[in-house]
Amino acid sequence: MSELLQNLIDGLGRGSIYALLALGVAVVFGIMHLLNFAHGELITIPGYLTYWAFNNGWNWWTVVPLIVVSAVITSLIIERVAFSRVRGASDFTLLLTSFGVHFIVSAGFLLYVSASVKPYPRPTWFAKTLAVGSLNIEVFDLVVIAVTVVVLAGTTWLLQRTMFGLALRAAAADFDAARLMGVKSDSVIRGAFALSGFLAGIAGVFWIMREGQVTPTAGINPMLQGVLAALIGGLGSLRGAVLGGLALGLAEVLLRSWLPVGIQNLTTGFVFVMIALLFIFRPGGLLSVPQVERV
Amino acid sequence: MFPNARRDIAFPVIGSLVLFAVLFGGGMIYQTILGNGSAERLVTTMLVDAIIVIGIQIYIGNTGILSFGHIGFGAIAGYVFAVYAISPEEKLKRIPSAPFGLSDIQVSPALAIAIAVGVTLVFAFIVGIGLARSGAQSGSVAATVITLALLFVTHEVAKSWPELTGGNRGGIAFGIGESLKGRTPILAALFAALLVARIYGQSRSGKLAIAAREDNLAARAMGVNPLVQQMIALLISVAVVSVGSSLRVWQIGSILPDRFFFDYAMLTLVMLIVGGRNSVTGAVLGVAVMTAARELARRLGQDGFEIFGIGLDEAPLDWVFRENLNSVVLGLAMVAFMIWRSSGILEDWEFDQWLYQKIGRGQEVEPQRLAELDSVPETIFAASGINVSFGGFKALTDAGITAAGGEIVGIIGPNGAGKTTFVNVITGMVEPTEGRFSIDGADLSGKPAFELSRNGLVRTFQNLRLFGSLSVRENIEVSALVANEHRADRTIRDVDSLMAEAGLWEHRDRRARELDYGNSRRLELARAAAMAPSFMLLDEPTSGMSDSESLTMIEQVRHMAATVGAGVIVIDHDLGFITGISDRIYVFDQGQVIADGTPAEVQANPHVQAAYLGSAAIT
Repeated sequence: MSELLQNLIDGLGRGSIYALLALGVAVVFGIMHLLNFAHGELITIPGYLTYWAFNNGWNWWTVVPLIVVSAVITSLIIERVAFSRVRGASDFTLLLTSFGVHFIVSAGFLLYVSASVKPYPRPTWFAKTLAVGSLNIEVFDLVVIAVTVVVLAGTTWLLQRTMFGLALRAAAADFDAARLMGVKSDSVIRGAFALSGFLAGIAGVFWIMREGQVTPTAGINPMLQGVLAALIGGLGSLRGAVLGGLALGLAEVLLRSWLPVGIQNLTTGFVFVMIALLFIFRPGGLLSVPQVERV
Repeated sequence: MFPNARRDIAFPVIGSLVLFAVLFGGGMIYQTILGNGSAERLVTTMLVDAIIVIGIQIYIGNTGILSFGHIGFGAIAGYVFAVYAISPEEKLKRIPSAPFGLSDIQVSPALAIAIAVGVTLVFAFIVGIGLARSGAQSGSVAATVITLALLFVTHEVAKSWPELTGGNRGGIAFGIGESLKGRTPILAALFAALLVARIYGQSRSGKLAIAAREDNLAARAMGVNPLVQQMIALLISVAVVSVGSSLRVWQIGSILPDRFFFDYAMLTLVMLIVGGRNSVTGAVLGVAVMTAARELARRLGQDGFEIFGIGLDEAPLDWVFRENLNSVVLGLAMVAFMIWRSSGILEDWEFDQWLYQKIGRGQEVEPQRLAELDSVPETIFAASGINVSFGGFKALTDAGITAAGGEIVGIIGPNGAGKTTFVNVITGMVEPTEGRFSIDGADLSGKPAFELSRNGLVRTFQNLRLFGSLSVRENIEVSALVANEHRADRTIRDVDSLMAEAGLWEHRDRRARELDYGNSRRLELARAAAMAPSFMLLDEPTSGMSDSESLTMIEQVRHMAATVGAGVIVIDHDLGFITGISDRIYVFDQGQVIADGTPAEVQANPHVQAAYLGSAAIT
């Protein structure tokens, strides 16, 4: 029982990071039908900045805002340089463009920094645990969960209560109709990328803290988890993205504790197989958005 | 299988030979000029990459579904090949505790390749079912993610199952007993891959898969089941990729999980996309171009390299020309092509088809006009008691029509009358809450769209759905291919005659998307007629046409229907057009049939006048 509870908290901690990533993916997907394979670069680039900052005597108090701000800026730059040029193109083109951006960034770091691992210190409180009864709760998980709740509440407020949120939701529902109603497509798309970058930045803070190091391909895992979580939840649904992230985090932690010792390192493989099965039996994801075929 | 043996078999064979000669010849010239071992290795690598890229083209090119998973299939094939091909002594060193008693087995490389293909095909079939279930179609995101997941799963398994795969670290690579000497197996496989890819592209299955790539819904309406064609394309494509991957392992002499992962998936995809994913010629061009570009980038990255006597090691440029430049080149090539030329250098230009147009087909003569059939086959379409509710809203109440073969039946009604819902029901797009429809008593309600058209109910679309990048002739050929299989008991008209009949003869080689509006409408009509339908269902065939064009359309619909012996059910809101064309008319209003009869009877009906002119007309 206490092991299950322990795993639940652990899973929610992981899942929260995935949820933030997935929400960022879903916001962009909603607005321009782009499944962003370059979402992980919003962690790779701040990751290298973190490494650079620590080498120049910064500390976590200053690095955290650096991560968030640089993620937002990176997101906006990628939109400007690449995605703004393929707006409205076929899904095939959009997918490959984002894939190409991912590849350029990681190959660029390989070319100009190095293939080797770049380490930096984790925060001092990272490994601390709190003993509650028979549970040993990681402080890190608690911080992640708390921050995620706050950020999600803020995002909900932004989407539900502000003009920007209204424009964004309208554009996601029907881009052309929203434009005809006076929503400025440029600014709403840029806003979506900024929001996506901000969410990735928050997730990035925790991801970067947890990893303690950065490599040119550091973006692949957060990208995959974010994309998969968004798909699990049901593409196009923001609530689904958050749910998908939590589900993915829990599935990983629970599978790892249930699988026999010999094949524990196949956890990721099993998660993938489960996801594939989910798509096969529920192609739209958990909260599928009904797709009506237009004639 | 093949509508035209000369065009679909003979010329593709010639084309494959030429592509093979160009790729291999170009490689030999390069190798001879440089005359060193590294040039030789580069050419060999290029030839092996070509086999794999051509294999991937068979799937991505013909179905339009983006797959990262083919390199995952390649990994499966590569490992199976390696485990079977290496000697027991070698296995004792690398994988002493291999499962399934594999540690004692050794077979010849050729047999090992065959086993690799067989095993991989089993996996491909399972993944293919998953793709079909996820509703894969051109550009679909879920399908792409499933293939991406496959790539990651194979990589994970390869890393975490060292008993079988030797694991992830250096030094645990397989050394394959006798490594590949000479290129004969590679050359043979390359030629075979070209042949398979080209002939599949021209085959019935290839044509139908391409039709579904162009417009999934329209293909289904023409009796194509895209999922079946996609599965066939997947299996053939994976077989070719498996052969290529086995040869890759054999040629390198070892296998590691990372050899068949992200980087290689990226390389092969870029090769495919740069040349033009929809053509085999494009795939081959892409392999050549990207191999050259990467080699150039690699050499520029090395110090001491000169081009045209100018050294590039000057300080100002040194920050660009560094090692690993070739990886950046890959990423840049992909993004640049996606932004500026997303269908690649050649788009879907195919060498052998170009050659056929130039020299292969000789003089074509416009066929005579078709005679109308003497007797129309007796057949009855009947829909009755159709009810459809959306939530609480009743879109259709007890609606029904009948139509006989050879008859033209019009359906008309103001906006919101339920015409579109009715069409959606009898085309299989909307499931009725109650009611059924049938042809000659055979119940068709609830059947998928492709079953309906195979049973003789063939539709057109209000907003034109042609197979855009196919030629006019190919558009009609798709229907004819399906008709030959499923409508053999009817009079099937020949493709050329139908084209002439529709006034499209002079446009026969143009792409459908280049046609003007009127010709597009006529092509849709001819494409439906080529299905040898019992009934043609025309959804607003004159929308967007002028009055005089509508009048011409009436003649064309009548004549076209008479030449294939079909009845016509036509939906429109243009009263003049409907009364001009129909033998009988059904008038819909507020989800019900409020009147039916000859045009004159219907026009005199006070309820109809009320619906059209307002209730004041009655009183």
